[in-house]
Amino acid sequence: MEGWAGKVLDVNLSDGSITSYPLDMELAHQFIGGRGLGARMLWDLVGPEVEPLSPENVLIFATGPLTASGAQTSNRFTVSTKSPLTGTVLDANSGGWWGMQFKRTGFDVLIVRGKSAAPVMLEIKPGSITLKDAANLWGKTVSETTEALGQNNNRRNVLCIGPAGENQVRLASIMNDGERALARGGPGAVMGSKNLKAIVVEGDQKMTVVDQELFKFVMYEMTKRIKASPLTSQALPEFGTVIMVNVVNEIGALPTRNFRTGQFEGADLISGEHLAETLMVKNQACWACPISCTRITRTENGEGEGPEYETTWAFGAECGIDDLVAITEANYLCNDLGLDTISTGVTIGCAMELSELGIINSELRFGRGELLKDVITDIAYRRGLGSELAEGSYRFAEMHGAPEYSMSVKKMEFPAYDPRGMQGQGLLFATSNRGACHMRGNMLGPEVLGLPRLVDRFATQGKAGVVVTHQNSAAVVDSLVVCKFVNMAVAEEFFARLLTAVSGVTYTGDDLMEAGERVYNLERMYNLREGFTRADDTLPRRLLEEPMPAGPSAGWVVKLEPMLKEYYQFRGWDKNGVPTPVTLKKLGLEAIR
Amino acid sequence: MPLIKFFGNLRQLAQASRLPVKGSSVRSLLDELCRQNQALSDAIFIDGQLRQHVRVVVNGHDVALEQGLDTPLEENDQVAIFPPLGGG
Repeated sequence: MEGWAGKVLDVNLSDGSITSYPLDMELAHQFIGGRGLGARMLWDLVGPEVEPLSPENVLIFATGPLTASGAQTSNRFTVSTKSPLTGTVLDANSGGWWGMQFKRTGFDVLIVRGKSAAPVMLEIKPGSITLKDAANLWGKTVSETTEALGQNNNRRNVLCIGPAGENQVRLASIMNDGERALARGGPGAVMGSKNLKAIVVEGDQKMTVVDQELFKFVMYEMTKRIKASPLTSQALPEFGTVIMVNVVNEIGALPTRNFRTGQFEGADLISGEHLAETLMVKNQACWACPISCTRITRTENGEGEGPEYETTWAFGAECGIDDLVAITEANYLCNDLGLDTISTGVTIGCAMELSELGIINSELRFGRGELLKDVITDIAYRRGLGSELAEGSYRFAEMHGAPEYSMSVKKMEFPAYDPRGMQGQGLLFATSNRGACHMRGNMLGPEVLGLPRLVDRFATQGKAGVVVTHQNSAAVVDSLVVCKFVNMAVAEEFFARLLTAVSGVTYTGDDLMEAGERVYNLERMYNLREGFTRADDTLPRRLLEEPMPAGPSAGWVVKLEPMLKEYYQFRGWDKNGVPTPVTLKKLGLEAIR
Repeated sequence: MPLIKFFGNLRQLAQASRLPVKGSSVRSLLDELCRQNQALSDAIFIDGQLRQHVRVVVNGHDVALEQGLDTPLEENDQVAIFPPLGGG
């Protein structure tokens, strides 16, 4: 295998058929892999008539041409589907070891179609690809399933859903290697709707590279830069992502109590500094990763990975909770039940506000960390109020006549940034193709950390160009598929050289950025075909009309309209946000209509 | 007196999460801090300049967008110093 394995594995759960066929290499070169290739295949396979939780939806697990090559962070993979939470194109992205192992089975992509009549699992081993009865696994948690199926990080890797996915909770994640997550947008619910419990992979094929000398040289240069950067060699290994709690709080952009305010009085108690002092056991790396940003933590009641910044915020400031132990154990529970921590926390925060306002009758209140485990479990098993929360914050709030209290875009819950303190982040969230998502081109770098250089977080004019560049870059990284933290130390040009070395196909940094732009426009066309319009490129009323009440971002709302106009122009879209024929032709997307 | 808030590994070097330090500008405040603590000085400055990725934020606003190290300070200002940090 040199870059791409060149093969697709296609499994139909309705009739049990398992086939493989060559990967369309022209598409692979245009869309690279991972998110890009997944979106392109989804365009062909899942049209607007398909309901996300119907057998006609598909799951497309995709690696990239660098996966399993041994290049830094070449462990990641994606799943693409139509989201049951948003109805948009969806890809979710995970690390760990499963992606590397799947590539070693000799395939780039696994497509799962249809629906099994009874719970099954798929096992892919050398010389054997089989669907097996999974009745004895159905109902088990993620950890129980992973152990029962013989997880071994470097030899046999388990990807599965927990009870949340089985119950088709719209916030359900797919988990791999125990505690890694394909989290956002509900892919676990799609897998559950297919009665597919797990996919186990054991591979025996090694990646080779076309130009070994170039590969070694670029790896050497990248390693130097990763070691030289204090971000990747000190900050992330020592403190992980949770260090961002105090940073974002300090500038008044840490969403607190369902985005009522931007500073949390308990921030230091849930900070990365406090985690390092109290619950941290060690850090840990995914396969082929030199950064080691993962936290391994321990409380009196358990040990596990995390929490990350987003999770700490979602169960912390978002819910008014300053109990780091409660937050950490909520994180462990979400991992074991198979739930997206961000959407779960924000949905609970929404319920807390509705409860405090008397719109719903519930014990939930901001600050009541002791209730977290029960409500998370109720969501996973669709019990009581949990059955409503399982629909996500927007549908839940809408049921009670108060959709404006759902902090979401396109029904995907917000991550841990109040855009009233970061205007560019607001534009990013409003225009993200999978709903409110910071991983589509996080403006934390330019607007707060000065990466690559600082821009005024309150400025609106000119912000669109920065957002577009970041979105395209994120699409590149998601399609290769490597980790965005490496991108903090090395530019796209390095990835281009690696790809050239591995595959023998010449790429430049500009080629990759064009591919990223292509992916972004394809996703946009997908959503337009689904019926999304300019009207969906918006933010909750709270952020557009309620000035931040206090703190360093006091008085600000998001001035979205002028940024959006500028954004459409930068993108080469018309005033309704539709890519023009000229833009589509430039990107080779004439067939995408 | 302005209050300095330390984050990340600067807390270990400062042996505190916050300290009141005299200074009428960011520069004079940091000069005084570094005079008191060489380890902090080495972490924050190189060749008389702020190290790459070190950020200084006064009352929630990055001084790079104000008057840099010459940003004036008032009595109850809060000066946050962040070492190189990454995340998302």
